[in-house]
Amino acid sequence: MVHILDVMEKALEGKPISENDYQLKLFAAKANEKVREHGIKFDRNEVIPSDNSLADDIYRAAVELLVEVGAYCTDTSRILSYSEEEIRGALRNAPQEIWLGEGKERKRLAPRKIEDKSPPWCFLGAGGGACSSDRSFTTLVEGYAEIPEINAITTPALTRVGGMRIRPASPLELLGAMRNAVYAREACNRVGRPGLPLMNSLSTAESDIALAAALHPRYGMRASDGFLICCMDPMKVDFNRLNKVTVVLSMGAPIGMCFGPLMGGYSGGPESTAVSNVAHHLMGVLTYQSSWLLPFPLHLRYVSSSSREMLWIISVTGQAISRNTDLISLNLNYTSAGPTTPMCLFETSASVTAAVVSGLSIESVGVASNKEEDRTTPVEPRISAEVAHAVAGMKRSDANGMVNELLSKYESKLANPPLGKTLFECWDPERRRPSPEYQKVIRKFKKDMAKIGVDLRPEL
Amino acid sequence: MGKDDAITELRSAVLEYDSDAAVRAAKAAIKQKIDPMIMVDKALVPAINEVGDKFEKMEIFLPDLMLAADAVKASMALILPLMAKDYQTSKATVVVATVQGDVHEIGKNIIASMLMARGFNVIDMGVDVKTTLLIDEAKKSRAKIICASALMSSTMGSQKDIIDYATALGDRKRYAILVGGGPTSREWADEIKADGWGKDANGAIKLADKFSGRR
Repeated sequence: MVHILDVMEKALEGKPISENDYQLKLFAAKANEKVREHGIKFDRNEVIPSDNSLADDIYRAAVELLVEVGAYCTDTSRILSYSEEEIRGALRNAPQEIWLGEGKERKRLAPRKIEDKSPPWCFLGAGGGACSSDRSFTTLVEGYAEIPEINAITTPALTRVGGMRIRPASPLELLGAMRNAVYAREACNRVGRPGLPLMNSLSTAESDIALAAALHPRYGMRASDGFLICCMDPMKVDFNRLNKVTVVLSMGAPIGMCFGPLMGGYSGGPESTAVSNVAHHLMGVLTYQSSWLLPFPLHLRYVSSSSREMLWIISVTGQAISRNTDLISLNLNYTSAGPTTPMCLFETSASVTAAVVSGLSIESVGVASNKEEDRTTPVEPRISAEVAHAVAGMKRSDANGMVNELLSKYESKLANPPLGKTLFECWDPERRRPSPEYQKVIRKFKKDMAKIGVDLRPEL
Repeated sequence: MGKDDAITELRSAVLEYDSDAAVRAAKAAIKQKIDPMIMVDKALVPAINEVGDKFEKMEIFLPDLMLAADAVKASMALILPLMAKDYQTSKATVVVATVQGDVHEIGKNIIASMLMARGFNVIDMGVDVKTTLLIDEAKKSRAKIICASALMSSTMGSQKDIIDYATALGDRKRYAILVGGGPTSREWADEIKADGWGKDANGAIKLADKFSGRR
């Protein structure tokens, strides 16, 4: 088994190479080579493919890619190489279930299968999106905690403390991370669900020192929360991230590596981005010592995951992982459009469907590319969860038809999406529900979903 | 090999993202005493423009764009010393960096490659660049434009530091300081008194064009 000391040894003794050469001449070139060797092809009309051999080819290509390029440590400018035997060993030893949360919220997170009838794990909230104030943070988390299907919360990230904009690795970031922990726990307490796990701990803590500081017991973080550590694209790590790994391992808590290969970036086109996405899963178990994985592949131009190519990448990644490993994987989706727009709800429905029928669980949702402060509400993750439960067990071929219908409703607007409204423009924090305008949009959305065969909960 | 063939080979080398071939082609063209202006105008500029257009349409991807820009840079290192001095300085120098505290590089790399593709003299300082070093480099290289990228809301403040530092040195008017990156906005650029906000790579290029002749 590869342990953290082995990872450090590889980072200190691996083959030296410049970062540019690693990502351009090694990683990008090999990812394309693997696509050619395995004859992997993206089909625009089959965004949720039913071809098992395609999933297996992508998996095989991903294993070969990791063996041939390894991971890269930016602090030592060295390659961390892994043998196929090390990959197999890591997969054998990866946990096949994780228990998260406390009391009656303590639940089992396990891998899913393709077309699995069991509901996916619903990790819901802002996906680390920026929020401007303590008030918007607690309003959002209270709203998330009341979603019936929720299994874990993904909090927003605070951008200000005491009116000052947070600076990286400064006392402001440490204080922001502490507030992140305290406010999120308090928001769950306020709605009577104190045991819900915070699974993106801690989104405000970008630096290792901020994470370590906020883990002091007085701030209420638990080993039964989930701890996300974000990988740099492509397949890169640094000491800051390995410090976080070491801290979380010392708590005995489950690490989740998140990674967002950009289609159009170093990973190239849809086929090589899918191979890269699967390879990152394997690299995460080894380098980041991950017990669960959180891919969020994004389109370079749209910064979202709802285009035709991205839905295909989500689907084939899920199928490749589900058919060939017992890894626990949750896809995080981003929309291009914002709150109160039908497009935003159709986008998240398409991405969630691609993930759920392909054997993945979900984190949802980064709204309007997660770029703007407070441009998110509790509605979008709630709709994602309703759709995720409704499509569990759906055949891939049926899901393909459904997703193509959804694409026809928004695909032409991806380059110039409507951004909708911000939190307090369309969410009433006192009544804990969306504005009448947004409720009308949701009712119409649910009627449209029923027309394409997806019955969601009646909207109040 | 004729003069036309040498130009064709130089152009092809960029279109094939091949730095070694670009250097060989440039050496061959120099040996044949081809006017360096012709090498640039007939081979390098059309080729890199074609690459930039393909990247915009997502017909090719970031590695191709960066390798093509590397090929131009490698051949220009041979061609530039042979060019007349007024031509050498006709394009502005741009210092490009991801700000202090931020290690995200993709957006910055796209901007750097596209600026290079459009003929700017680009100094890419990399990621997590200290504010003082960035301004020092801009001063040393007589840059007209600084492009500062930030991908995290927690690192946007470093963009303000750059502007405040240049102002404190009395150098603010020497540079157009352009900001960009995921969490930034026009409002943010206005708030910190940046000269411009690039919504995306194309927006940044237009701003660079706008400011290249002004200072």
